[in-house]
Amino acid sequence: MQQSPSILYASNLKKSYGTVEAIKGINLNIQGSGVYAILGQNGAGKTSLIKCALGLEKITSGTLQVIGSAPGTLQAKRQIGVILQDSDLPDLLTVKEQITLFASYYPTPFSVEKTIEMCALEDFADKRYKKLSGGQKRRAQFALAIVGNPQLIFLDEPTTGLDIEARRNLWAVIRDFAKQGKTIVLTTHYLEEAENLADRIMIMNSGIIVADASPSEIQKQSKGSVIRCETSTSYEVLQKLTGVSSVSISGRFSEIHSTDVNQSLSEMLSLDPNLKDLTVNQPKLEDVFGRLSQGVK
Amino acid sequence: MSRILHSFVLETGAELLKALRAPEFIFPTLGMPVAFYSLFAIMIPGSSNNPDYLLATYGVFAVMGPAIFGFGISVANERDKGWLDLKLAAPSLGFSYIAAKVCSTLLFSSLSLVIIYLVAGFAAGVVLPQPTWALLLTTHILATFPFILIGLIIGFIFNANAAIAISNVIFLAFAALGGLWIPIMLFPQSMQSFAHFLPTFHLSEIALYVLGAPGERDLNYHILIIAIMSLVLLAATAFAWSKQRNH
Ligand SMILES: Nc1ncnc2c1ncn2[C@@H]1O[C@H](COP(=O)(O)OP(=O)(O)OP(=O)(O)O)[C@@H](O)[C@H]1O
Ligand SMILES: [Mg+2]
Repeated sequence: MQQSPSILYASNLKKSYGTVEAIKGINLNIQGSGVYAILGQNGAGKTSLIKCALGLEKITSGTLQVIGSAPGTLQAKRQIGVILQDSDLPDLLTVKEQITLFASYYPTPFSVEKTIEMCALEDFADKRYKKLSGGQKRRAQFALAIVGNPQLIFLDEPTTGLDIEARRNLWAVIRDFAKQGKTIVLTTHYLEEAENLADRIMIMNSGIIVADASPSEIQKQSKGSVIRCETSTSYEVLQKLTGVSSVSISGRFSEIHSTDVNQSLSEMLSLDPNLKDLTVNQPKLEDVFGRLSQGVK
Repeated sequence: MSRILHSFVLETGAELLKALRAPEFIFPTLGMPVAFYSLFAIMIPGSSNNPDYLLATYGVFAVMGPAIFGFGISVANERDKGWLDLKLAAPSLGFSYIAAKVCSTLLFSSLSLVIIYLVAGFAAGVVLPQPTWALLLTTHILATFPFILIGLIIGFIFNANAAIAISNVIFLAFAALGGLWIPIMLFPQSMQSFAHFLPTFHLSEIALYVLGAPGERDLNYHILIIAIMSLVLLAATAFAWSKQRNH
């Protein structure tokens, strides 16, 4: 049977900067279209992976291929678009001027007008980049990433620093693009973003991929909520309450992970009606990491 | 082929737009040379040889600004902001970024030269045979290249803020100490010897020779020194480039 071609393929990939090992042996095979999210904390190695795939950084050992070509070759670059994590466009050129220039690098680009329309840039296409808001800047960068009509798009933390509405807008454009049969690899710190956008979520931690799963599997792992409060009820008692899966103590606070918040809370309140500073939150990424990486090992 | 050409024209256009929209670039590159030339060659009275002599040296001054600022500050800035990385990740031809900057720099230095030549010919009373004008223009335009290399080295090594400071220091020191503003004969002996280490001095001596200014000049010596300096700068540029790639 014919396998569909690899869009991004890594085998035992390693990358070191001097003595710092940023990537410690990654195996990866992304095939076909869709949105692939790489989730990870600061320093996990997400940007390093993308820079290696772009040919901006040399890999230390292992194999890395982009659409069948070596990273950094003209052949590979023609099929890639990118938003780099900390990259700004020239302040003094307008959005349209930059899109026109970037379009000229690619063999079969979208027209400038179509790109402006797809990214909804009409309102500020003739403004200089310097004069744009943060969200507008990110959309302009997205336009440069897609104008070449590439098969593969890397978005390194595309929504960091954007407000909810700007984030949702960008998500919509990303989804549209995936529907056209493109492959999008994006990095993020937000579980919510990955769950909303991705067909597959890879969790990276200290240079390795610790989990690789569909959003629904991840959701299963992250189900429930974290109750945090100051209470006189002891650790042992809390652990035995209905729905509680784990308890941890940090400083004066107890953190209770529960799959049945209502029941756990009412039992906690009847045991200690004076509990203080109560908050209930979605589990943090770190918690999910913990459980997922255990599951993978 | 035509696609590559099209892309290159757009790239050069983008460089020109960026330069034209930056007053802090226009002033030292286009304004300052002609302002200084007018001041010293026309407004301050001196010997009648001055406008000719100063045309040779201020022509070198005129091409130095676009090269050092256009490359030093803008490359450092674009590297700092990650724009260079974005270009290297895109399928633009590797050298087109530099080549477009060279073209835009040459256009700016030519423009700066034309302005000074017009002032020299029409206001300062410089009279030269046509072939001499043409040869002088060629000399001055060629003189841009060593400064482009100096600008590139600054741009590859320093961050944006440091590059602004370094470019200004080099620009002013090379101009003053190389005798571009005030003829070097008026300097104390030690400073005259020091000038031999500066490309500005040798380039202005070559321009003075072309223009037929009075005094003995060893053309071959100055060309040899400039050739050696350019080779050293070229090697340093290649080194700075590879160093910044593997930072
Ligand atoms: N140019 C570099 N030189 C030296 N070390 C580097 C360099 N770039 C990254 N590192 C190190 O490599 C590791 C991975 O960094 P990387 O930028 O890939 O992480 P990341 O997952 O993108 O983090 P973030 O979420 O903060 O963007 C970190 O320990 C970082 O300090
Ligand atoms: Mg990063």
